[in-house]
Amino acid sequence: MKNRFEVYFVFLAFLSVFLLTMGSQNLLAQDGEKNRIRISANYFKIMDGEAYFDIKASARIDKKNVEVTNIKLTVYNEIIDEKIELGTVTTNMKGESKFVLPKLNEITPDSTHTYNFVVSFNGNESFKRASKSVSIKDANIKADLVVKDSTNYISATLIDVGKDSLLIGETMDVQVQRLFMPHKIGEEFNYTDKNGTILVPVDTDIPGVDGNLTIEVVLNDHDTYGTVKDLVVAPIGTPIVDESTFDLRKMWSPRNKTPLFLLIFPNILIFGIWGLIIYLITNLFKIAKS
Amino acid sequence: MDSYNKLVNDLAPRKFGKRGTIWTTLLIVIIIAGIIAYIDQIIKGQVVTNMRDYALWGIYISNFVFFVATSFVGSVTVAVLRLTKNTWRTPLVRIAEIITLAAIVMAGVTIMIDMARPDRLLNLFIHARLQSPITWDVIIVPTSIVLSFLLLYFPLIPDLAILKKHFKKTKPTISKWYGKLALNWNGSKAQKALQEKSIRIIAIMIIPVGIILQTIDAWLFSTTYRIGWDSTNMGAYFISGAFVAGLGALVTLMYVIRKVRGLENYITDYHFDKMGKFLGLGCLTYLYFNINEYLIPIFTAPVEEDIHLNSLVSGEYAPIFWFAQIVGLLLPLFILLFNKGRKPGAMFIVGMMVVIGSWWKRFIIVTPTLLHPFLPIEGVPESWHHYFPSMHEWLITGATLAMAFLIITVFVRYLPVIPIQRTADEQGLVKTPKIVES
Repeated sequence: MKNRFEVYFVFLAFLSVFLLTMGSQNLLAQDGEKNRIRISANYFKIMDGEAYFDIKASARIDKKNVEVTNIKLTVYNEIIDEKIELGTVTTNMKGESKFVLPKLNEITPDSTHTYNFVVSFNGNESFKRASKSVSIKDANIKADLVVKDSTNYISATLIDVGKDSLLIGETMDVQVQRLFMPHKIGEEFNYTDKNGTILVPVDTDIPGVDGNLTIEVVLNDHDTYGTVKDLVVAPIGTPIVDESTFDLRKMWSPRNKTPLFLLIFPNILIFGIWGLIIYLITNLFKIAKS
Repeated sequence: MDSYNKLVNDLAPRKFGKRGTIWTTLLIVIIIAGIIAYIDQIIKGQVVTNMRDYALWGIYISNFVFFVATSFVGSVTVAVLRLTKNTWRTPLVRIAEIITLAAIVMAGVTIMIDMARPDRLLNLFIHARLQSPITWDVIIVPTSIVLSFLLLYFPLIPDLAILKKHFKKTKPTISKWYGKLALNWNGSKAQKALQEKSIRIIAIMIIPVGIILQTIDAWLFSTTYRIGWDSTNMGAYFISGAFVAGLGALVTLMYVIRKVRGLENYITDYHFDKMGKFLGLGCLTYLYFNINEYLIPIFTAPVEEDIHLNSLVSGEYAPIFWFAQIVGLLLPLFILLFNKGRKPGAMFIVGMMVVIGSWWKRFIIVTPTLLHPFLPIEGVPESWHHYFPSMHEWLITGATLAMAFLIITVFVRYLPVIPIQRTADEQGLVKTPKIVES
């Protein structure tokens, strides 16, 4: 009898170990609980362009940060107790998504001219519901190219739109657009003066396609205003001389751009040799007939 | 039996004996094994080979280079000896022509075997770029095949007419075939003029075409800028190597055919002696280019090339390298310096040493360079740093060599290996054969 109980005990022990192991293999359902999701939302505004949120969803699973892919997020405009849905986005394979906002004048701010948004996730079988609140005020940058004493300057003025007032003592970056990273110009910190303006000289030796430079003036990741950017396209750079051999006849070009000597010389050889071969074959026919 | 009939009887092809049948059966078995391995390679892909991201050209390409080199024998013996009016060439040229055709046909087959997707073969023509050495190869190999066929066929026509007559009573079916291939040859002045003119054109053409073929083969490597291949010496080095490989193959086959067919009265010690001197000249030339290729870089090489040379001289590939240099080149050269070394038996051994040495030489030209890539891959498996062919590769390569031998065997079985008409003309036995009815 005792032996029978021991057998049952061993059997149950094995079964429980097996079931527990099965449960732990499900990474997204750690200890049978749903994981907590983290949402970050950064506000961007391009002057004369779009305003949008860069949203990222991640979670900490097994002590590792994991991007949460393919989840649906809803963006709301929050006004006191009311939430107006602005739209939804789905995260991509990197857990990222971009939500383009309607024009700000179509969105209702609170009494302090602050726009309140909520990015919300409703939860699913793997993750708990989560949300992220973002409050921003609207700011404008007005950037222009000015020339003083034969020197080119970028002049940019920062304005709080809600209060219609100049923003003084804020720092803005001035940079030239480049393929991988922008090229910063001017001082490390360019503070707006009493007129809410910065003035940054632009060197004449910066290369640009056809001499055109796309200069960005950026209020970068501001706690109140987010990231605001204005672009100025100015023909003040040094034109880039295109040294590409793409359209030339080179050894590495496609066959419609074969170097001429390679078209002429080998073809003379090929047609010469094959012409003689055809002549020799016709001689075989002549031998057969004669 | 008069002298002419004896000559025809001696030189006319004859049925294989027991040894010939066993030899042919063995070749067919090797070919079947290779075909099975190739079908498996097609089904499973080239993962069945030991070629990987580093050694992406393996034994197939080295075998291809060997075939291309061997095919050069047509240019050096037939054309060069003809243009230099060396009349002793007569009993050798047909064998050289047969080797040339068999080798270049198998070179074409081998390069297709190396393609992982042979169904895309036509793309090589459809999307050809003249800037690519691969395209040059795609053009020159078929050209050489056609020219090698014509090199064999034109001098053969009078002999085919003779064979038609010779076998008319004893073997009427085969006689009929010889008649068709003889193109109604009756030895008329017009036919002779056309034939002579054509042979003269081919003899001149085959030299530049052969040189172009070998040079393109060399440029396939040297235009890649890879260590061990990036050499202005490469074209001449390949031509001299082909000179040696081709003559080695010819000497070996001369001995075998002479013995099997009992042609001692036609291929004499004198011919072996002449061929020995000719091969000796080839070996000296090749030695000179080897010194250029290896000895000078040993003293002047930058670090990367030094690593490559060390792997050849004292490293992983040293046994093969020294085997190819000593057994395939220096020892034959030494043997050929002596009169006894140019006797038929010794020449057969020399020919075998040269041919085997030449095959392995191509292996060490192709493989070690690939194992030292421009951009080493991070964390590659250790096995990628080494290459030795898989069983599939050995079986398939063995089959290509067997196919070359089978082509030669079939030609030896059905064609006169020594030109009958030319020999008769030289011996003054008969000026023109009688007109044969078709």
